[in-house]
Amino acid sequence: MSPLADLRAPQTIDVVTRFGVFQASPRDVVRVADGLPGFESCRQYVIVSSPELEPFTCLQGLDDPRPSFLVIDPRLVAADYHVALSPADRRRLDVAPGDTLLWLALVRIGDGSDASVNLRAPIVVNPRRMAGLQVIAADSPYALQHPLHGD
Amino acid sequence: MLVFTRRRDEAIVIGDGIEIRVIRVGHDGVRLGITAPPDVAVHRREIYEAIGAANRSAAASQARDAAALAAHLRDRAPAGAGSPR
Repeated sequence: MSPLADLRAPQTIDVVTRFGVFQASPRDVVRVADGLPGFESCRQYVIVSSPELEPFTCLQGLDDPRPSFLVIDPRLVAADYHVALSPADRRRLDVAPGDTLLWLALVRIGDGSDASVNLRAPIVVNPRRMAGLQVIAADSPYALQHPLHGD
Repeated sequence: MLVFTRRRDEAIVIGDGIEIRVIRVGHDGVRLGITAPPDVAVHRREIYEAIGAANRSAAASQARDAAALAAHLRDRAPAGAGSPR
């Protein structure tokens, strides 16, 4: 980046999602090196939020509009939620001591408004590196479609 | 597709730094050992595909009721309650 570009006001990007249009900064872009299963070619995402969507946020693909997810902190769904990151995943996210990772579980709303949360394969972001990945574990006590109750 | 015959303790090398070694051959399965660089993700195909199907399903699920569901959850759990952050 040229020194001149540094002097300009930070540009914002309009993020069009299935849940509305949001504004984000290029600094908000999370890089997912291998993409997400089912959407391998999309490597850049942003996490956007609004008071109306709280406690959800939206994880939106930038390279491809189709990966547009409603997400929630899995610990709001299962209070004792715990998934251990493998050493390989920790390396991929460049996790250092003191890093606080962001955990996101994908929400699916059915046509009858029944909703489920994927607690088995959470998305983990290291905000210090703006790097993310989806946990793909061979065995997990959590369900791919954990019912989301309003309690 | 390339097809090889490998015996126990024999391996296949793919590119620079990926090795697949036959550890044990049983009646109903073959145990493989895989060595790959840290930036190469290795997954069981059926697990990867199940998560891919769940992701596509979540991305295609309806968005219309998201705000209503969010409001419902806020009513049940006041802001901050239960959040470990």
